Amino acid sequence: MVSLVINGQRISAAPGTTILEAAREAGIEIPHLCYHPAFPPVGTCRLCAVEIEGLPKLEPACSTNVKEGMVVRTESPRVVEARRNVLELLLAEHAMDCPICDKAGECRLQDTYQAYSLAPGVYAEDKTRRGKKIALGGGLLLDRERCVLCTRCVRFLESVTKTSELGVFERGDRSEIGCVEGRLVDNNYSGCLAEICPVGAITDSDFRFKTRAWFLEARETICPLCGRGCAVFLESHPGFPRVPGTAKAYRVRSRRDERVNGHWICNVGRYGYGYLEKSRCRELAGPLAKTLNLKAATDVVAPLAAELRALKYKGRQTRVAVVLSDWLTNEELFLAGAVFRRDLEIGRCHLVGPRDGSPDGMLLTAERSPNRAGAKALGFNTEETTLEALARDTDLLIVFGPFLQDRFRPADIASAWAGVKTKVLFTPRDEGLGAAFDLVVPTVWPAEKDGSFTNCQGLIRSFSPALAPPPSAVPEWRLLTALGRAVGLNPSFYIPFRSAGDVRRAMP
Amino acid sequence: MNREDELFLTRDFGLDHLHRLETYVSRGGYRAAAKALKTMTPDAVLEEVKAANLRGRGGAGFPAGIKWGFVPRGTDALRYLCVNADEGEPGTFKDRFLMSHNPHLLLEGAILASYAVGIRTAYVYIRGEYESIARRLETAVSEARASGWLGDHIAGTGFGLEVFVHRGAGAYICGEETALLESLEGKRGHPRLKPPFPASIGLFRCPTVINNVETLCHIPGIIRHGAEAFLKRGLPRDGGTRIFSVSGAVARPGCYELPTGSSLRELIYERAGGVRDGRKLKAVIPGGLSAPMLTENEIDVRMDGDSLVEAGSMLGSGAVIVIDDETPMTLVLEKITKFYAHESCGQCTPCRVGTAWMARIAARLRAGRRRNGDVDTLHRLASGIKGRTLCPMGDAAALPVLALVAKFRDELERSS
Ligand SMILES: Cc1cc2nc3c(=O)[nH]c(=O)nc-3n(C[C@H](O)[C@H](O)[C@H](O)COP(=O)(O)O)c2cc1C
Ligand code: SF4
Repeated sequence: MVSLVINGQRISAAPGTTILEAAREAGIEIPHLCYHPAFPPVGTCRLCAVEIEGLPKLEPACSTNVKEGMVVRTESPRVVEARRNVLELLLAEHAMDCPICDKAGECRLQDTYQAYSLAPGVYAEDKTRRGKKIALGGGLLLDRERCVLCTRCVRFLESVTKTSELGVFERGDRSEIGCVEGRLVDNNYSGCLAEICPVGAITDSDFRFKTRAWFLEARETICPLCGRGCAVFLESHPGFPRVPGTAKAYRVRSRRDERVNGHWICNVGRYGYGYLEKSRCRELAGPLAKTLNLKAATDVVAPLAAELRALKYKGRQTRVAVVLSDWLTNEELFLAGAVFRRDLEIGRCHLVGPRDGSPDGMLLTAERSPNRAGAKALGFNTEETTLEALARDTDLLIVFGPFLQDRFRPADIASAWAGVKTKVLFTPRDEGLGAAFDLVVPTVWPAEKDGSFTNCQGLIRSFSPALAPPPSAVPEWRLLTALGRAVGLNPSFYIPFRSAGDVRRAMP
Repeated sequence: MNREDELFLTRDFGLDHLHRLETYVSRGGYRAAAKALKTMTPDAVLEEVKAANLRGRGGAGFPAGIKWGFVPRGTDALRYLCVNADEGEPGTFKDRFLMSHNPHLLLEGAILASYAVGIRTAYVYIRGEYESIARRLETAVSEARASGWLGDHIAGTGFGLEVFVHRGAGAYICGEETALLESLEGKRGHPRLKPPFPASIGLFRCPTVINNVETLCHIPGIIRHGAEAFLKRGLPRDGGTRIFSVSGAVARPGCYELPTGSSLRELIYERAGGVRDGRKLKAVIPGGLSAPMLTENEIDVRMDGDSLVEAGSMLGSGAVIVIDDETPMTLVLEKITKFYAHESCGQCTPCRVGTAWMARIAARLRAGRRRNGDVDTLHRLASGIKGRTLCPMGDAAALPVLALVAKFRDELERSS
């Protein structure tokens, strides 16, 4: 380890660490625009220049490595003067349309100016008019009057997606970002560009003008849309602009996890959050109730438990079939195993998830479920099944999740299962499947609950709710705990489970 | 003939057909290469160049031998020589003079440098506008190949070298050594962050030596006559001759080869015939446009790196631009700032925005639309660029403006 002093604070850092990273680890933030930890430093914005004792010039913290005994100052008058100077230059030709800029409130230029300068502009020359609202592809728009030419976008496309759709054209103050040979940005990670743009130069039409960044509440969660399970922030806000109401998701952003997704997420995960709202089983008395027999979980548990017990003792083979899904958490699958397989000795516990898609060779996997690896590890059968197999000798069918519909048409389900006496569906959404069931119980999506998933790399990661569920919906782990208790074959086992964490601790 | 006269690069420039191999050889050409390859080890060549303390003629004045010594030794890993023939510094026209009169001298210098460093491939990165000179160089390369001075087994030895001529596309910044490398690799000519320096990671990520044309042209003389002779011609610490490109308001503009350390006043008044049309000298830019200007009472200075630094300027590329008393300083300021604003690569903030801003102010001053505080703003902008950019171009753009503002402030403030 190398020992050095930054702003009078003695810190130690691994050899080869840059001053910027070493300072950051010690809680000292050095402002910067072009530097991004995913790329080698380019040292061009000059905002991170710091004073190093014994050196005549200020040096860029992003690209200068720590040295034993180094004495660094990041807030000295010289440093702050240089920082202000760079800010002045960056703002001289800047659009200054912060009131209508999506990035306002989370803009590095704005934040740094607020922290270090707040000096009035003296630029008295005519500003150059540059292109605004230039379509880059992928729903991204470029505003060249806001661009600070950090080239993060260019470097991202060069080194991460290796598609190189963007480049810098012209030179000097005529430099501008543009599409190389007119080719639009077209890759499954294009959404990352708006995220890594430190200013509002690249905006995303998915988010554009929908809300102000400062209204958003960012909570950590895991993307459930494929087996990778990228770490993300789900950002929600109760409504526009400040109307209290149900929290609504506005944006998904990547969250750094070096073990899984590094800094990035794919467009499927970024833009796919619409499923949270779509066809949601929300209010028990809402429009869905006209066609479905929507019931709250609390009203369903006792009668369902009674029926399960009755069927268990009726013959040698239980006349119950259960369909689970790989969107359930490890805790839920564990509880489902306890209730259905261990206590009730139900042999037919199948797993039905969404259909596979094609992998993209980077993060996106073929499976479009977050917990197939977890389900396999818990011994669930992930092989395909048929509607007939599920209906044979069955009096009670319990289905978790909406995914049967990805494989069968609701009408076929209804006719294949016409002979099954009781059919119960636990699902967060309904798009016609519920009509084939006697009872539909609203549940929650992973983003709204506690639990853990095992991703395609075998990593087990837990998460807590990032969004409040609809009031009528109950997380499956809670429902299964209640059901296990009510079935009464092993009641004391379920007593301690007051949270998904309690269940996790009981798991092998 | 006086042996030491052979240390003058331009000694034979009056001869017809010097650019042809036979003429060059008849004047002693390729004898240094033969001597080195047959009788000296690469280390001995390197040591000789180190002893000569040959300072780079491209602008920075870094000793060539020391630079070569930075290339890792004792491996046969790929390494390259890049000859910087971009000659972009305004006022400079010595490299074209050397290459068009005597292309084989450059090739011989390249052979010696390559032999000393263990290089087998050299590129001449030549300014795009020098199309006919590039052709002349290419002809020289084929001649040299045909007679065994390039290719495998040069002069029957185990040493081989290939030389490729590559034309630039008209960007001043591509003369900066790392931008040159990027450009040669087929990328935008953007200077690289240093370290790493080209001697460790250069062209195609291999160790690379980059030298100016004139620097390399001195090597054959040093090898033939020894470091000592070289140091005697010129100053003890900064030997040899230099080719000064003299332009501007002088009676006889042109290239003048003089021993390093010659007087600037003599260069202007005795060689270049003094100020044109009986006008008076107002200022001199002594080392290419980037060098801070000197006023009439500052020109009793020796033309060597150290003396000019002492005088608050620099020797740079040795290009002397003379400004007469009828030239308004707003015009000079406009030319300087416009050039750098046009040529900034645009990577780093102070240079990209600062040069453009300065150019806009200068254009207004020139057009008689001065505002209060303009000169202070110029000074502040130039100070904000100086020492704070990624490559030395920032300093190149800031220093001449700072000098002009300091020395001609009254004139600028009177403009309107
Ligand atoms: C903006 C800029 C432009 C330059 N242009 C040239 C050039 O045209 N020719 C040249 O030889 N060196 C030029 N240089 C200097 C080179 O970077 C480098 O120092 C030189 O080629 C090294 O050769 P030398 O050591 O033989 O002088 C330039 C430097 C800068 C910063
Ligand atoms: S100083 Fe100017 S030329 Fe050099 S890297 Fe920065 S912008 Fe480019």
